[in-house]
Amino acid sequence: MKLAIERAALLRSLGHVQNVVERRTTIPILNNVKLVGGDGLELVATDLDLTLLAREPAEVGRRGATTVPAHTLFDIVRKLPEGATVTLEQQPGSAELELRAGRSRFVLPTLPVDDFPAIGGEELEVRFEIAPGDLVKLIDKARFAISTEETRYYLNGIHFHVAGAGATRTLRGVATDGHRLARIEVALPPGAERMPPVIVPRKTVGELRKLVEGVEEPVRVAVSASRIELTAGGARLLSRLIDGTFPDYERVIPTNNERIAVLATKAFAEAVDRVATISMEKARPIKLAFETGRVTVSAVSPEQGRAEEELDCVWQGEPLEIGFNARYVLDMVAQVEGPELRIEMANAAAPTVVKDPADPALLFVLMPMRV
Amino acid sequence: MPAIRVLPEEVVNRIAAGEVVERPASAVKELVENALDAGARRIGVTLAGGGRGLILVEDDGCGIPAEELPLAVRRHATSKLADDTLVRIATLGFRGEALPSIAAVARLAITSRPPGADSAFTLVVEGERVEGPRPSAGRPGTRVEVRDLFRRTPARLKFLRSERAELQAALEVVERLALARPEVGFVLEAEGRRLLDLAPAEGERLERTARRAIALLGRDLARDLVEVEAERDGIRLFGLLGLPTAARSDPGAQFLVVNGRPVQDRLLKSALKAAYGDLLAAGRHPVAALFLELPPERVDVNVHPAKIEVRFADPGTVRGLVIGSLRRALAEHGQRTAGRIATAALGTFRPGSTTFAGRPPSPSLPRGLAETAAAFQAPLAPLPPAAPPGAVEPPAEPDPAAYPLGAARAQLHDSYILAQTADGLVIVDQHAAHERIVFEKLKAGLAEGGVARQVLLLPEVVELGPGEREALLERTDELLALGLAIEPFGPGAVLVREVPAVLGERPSGELVRALAKELASLGSLFTLEAAIGRVAATAACHGSVRAGRRLSLAEMDALLRQMERTPGAGQCNHGRPTWIELKRADIERLFARR
Repeated sequence: MKLAIERAALLRSLGHVQNVVERRTTIPILNNVKLVGGDGLELVATDLDLTLLAREPAEVGRRGATTVPAHTLFDIVRKLPEGATVTLEQQPGSAELELRAGRSRFVLPTLPVDDFPAIGGEELEVRFEIAPGDLVKLIDKARFAISTEETRYYLNGIHFHVAGAGATRTLRGVATDGHRLARIEVALPPGAERMPPVIVPRKTVGELRKLVEGVEEPVRVAVSASRIELTAGGARLLSRLIDGTFPDYERVIPTNNERIAVLATKAFAEAVDRVATISMEKARPIKLAFETGRVTVSAVSPEQGRAEEELDCVWQGEPLEIGFNARYVLDMVAQVEGPELRIEMANAAAPTVVKDPADPALLFVLMPMRV
Repeated sequence: MPAIRVLPEEVVNRIAAGEVVERPASAVKELVENALDAGARRIGVTLAGGGRGLILVEDDGCGIPAEELPLAVRRHATSKLADDTLVRIATLGFRGEALPSIAAVARLAITSRPPGADSAFTLVVEGERVEGPRPSAGRPGTRVEVRDLFRRTPARLKFLRSERAELQAALEVVERLALARPEVGFVLEAEGRRLLDLAPAEGERLERTARRAIALLGRDLARDLVEVEAERDGIRLFGLLGLPTAARSDPGAQFLVVNGRPVQDRLLKSALKAAYGDLLAAGRHPVAALFLELPPERVDVNVHPAKIEVRFADPGTVRGLVIGSLRRALAEHGQRTAGRIATAALGTFRPGSTTFAGRPPSPSLPRGLAETAAAFQAPLAPLPPAAPPGAVEPPAEPDPAAYPLGAARAQLHDSYILAQTADGLVIVDQHAAHERIVFEKLKAGLAEGGVARQVLLLPEVVELGPGEREALLERTDELLALGLAIEPFGPGAVLVREVPAVLGERPSGELVRALAKELASLGSLFTLEAAIGRVAATAACHGSVRAGRRLSLAEMDALLRQMERTPGAGQCNHGRPTWIELKRADIERLFARR
């Protein structure tokens, strides 16, 4: 293999694919990135569950493929001067790759390309395209609620599925950790009707989000019940899906909560943040006391004292007092872009629904804390 | 299909022997208990081949009259039950099984001479054959010789462990009995070596128990023991507790005695563990010798053939008494750290073991140089105290005599506080000490403000074993106070609706199952308290003054005063000591002034 490539292009793609390479692994080949010189340069890295591929234009003198330590190559390229041209060359039969740029020369050990895990598998039967903005929304608004508790592996990702019937069908992204839940909807992309319900793991969600950053053309999706492939720009991502059943979440979303408060999003978030300063406890409990025309946010800590702040709020009927984990409230309010927030409650122990009146696609459920 | 037949007595005896005599140590236990029941003042035990070859137990007790000797080896024949109710059992034995069981699996010879009798009589039993009693020579008391144990039950023989292990087990049995009865002298010899030689201990009961405990557990433990004594509803508890810092990594140094009977009771063990609670790091076991005395009718000892387990009529009271009085005793000594540690520190100070800069000048140096060296090594003249700029009035220096932890004098390596007390020197590990203070505050906060409960979006169904579900549901209110809301969910399961908010996202299933087990067997909620405590401990560790932070004298004094006010300040949450003390006498000893 022999090729020449712009440093900027190589850095961009390497920077992307090396994310998936674990720093410590017992399988040496997984430390490596696969380089394929063909029509341009293709880079592949994998942790067996998630595979990232990138392609950059390059001047290929002699076709070929090899693998080199990903983090080392990335560090070298990162330190090369801007605007440099990088040449990569492996002599036939040699176990080393030579990298030259300007007056620098590096020789890196390689591992045989045939040892690199093959990607692919069964046919991905459902294929469709989705607007990058929709994908970003599905991810960004839901990922805060993904569970990190590994014993409930089926909650360790975003659950995507087709919801509704007929013309109003939507593509939904749902995440929950058992204490709160986020449900986001976008218009169903044509071709996605037959998509099976899937759970995309957290790590894949993170890489996926980076992949679509700054992309303007539609993202191509291919999916089966066990794998997903996404292509955006010059990069591709292949991932296994979580093999599990997402709980029947619709059952726990109340539809007839009658105690309704409407308040200003930003002012509420700031008030909660300020008051929560007092509750140094890990669980950060705060209390909301709703009464006609206002809500009082308060916190009490045996160590740190007390705090309260009053806000204007649309509220009718009997007063209601309800406790929440301040961190949960802040995480959720951060997803609401509209100027107002609608909180629908039943009582101090029942699921509370939060909506953005300006964006009906968003719905959050928050479980109260009994303080 | 073979016909049903009644087993011959010999087989019955061998089966029963399997329950009572499972290894040489159990035979030793039965025989020594017999000796104690006979009112012996001195008991000698001799073992050969780990007890397999020979077990010889001699006592100076009341003996057995010649005419009763044949009865002694008959099944269910005993002198220890006055009536037939099994309610008031005041002796160690009562089942009348020991001797016949041993006789069924070994060669047994009993020589006995009641005090006042003219001569001794010997009875020899080998399987079904009984010889004697015939007159023989013997001192007052009883001497039981057991040879070739299990020779006739090869199956049992096969499962015995090495001679060494069997000997160790027998030694432990005798040690436990010896601790239970400090007024009796014990000697144990094996293969010509004297492994145990305990003179009858003198003094009041607690005092002689302490003497015996120290003789058994080692002299260095003497400084690390706390006495405990309490009584409630006719139940008396007394004994000795090791300080948390003297805890060991094996539970072998726990002696539990109920009405003079050494037991391995789970209720008492768990109460002991619960009493120490978070004072101990995981995997550390307290050293303790606890004696419980209660009217015989309130405890059932006829639960286990070897009687190592007992049942209490009101386990709740016993548990409450043990935990309550132990906690109180430990709290009173919360300031004390294990003296052994100070002793170890002293060892490292020993002159000659370290090279000091202040060594006398070597005689080979030329005179002039030697003088210079001496002057160089002389202590600096004290600097005149510099008035701080801004002339802030320095806080009044505490009087070292006024506080147990004294007045801070200096900080070493930005990590240790040196304080002078009325009669010595205290070194405090600032991180460990502050961590403990923060932890105790967090705990108090939790107790005061109640435990915040996070309601679950997806309530968790937890499957439980029979009895566990009911045990758990009975305590619903207490669980709620600790942050766990449960309700019945079909047969054999509960539904968890709310969890302690401090535990975060952790799944509750495992916690609930562990709790249910603990409740069903012991009746305590220790697991839940501990889980909440652990979170507080981690938080405390992060919110504490770390090693490496420079403290002013005022800050150090403030820390010392807080430590004095904090229960359990003698060790950090990980069970390490927070401070050690060197007495003035110790220091003087270092300099050979004493």
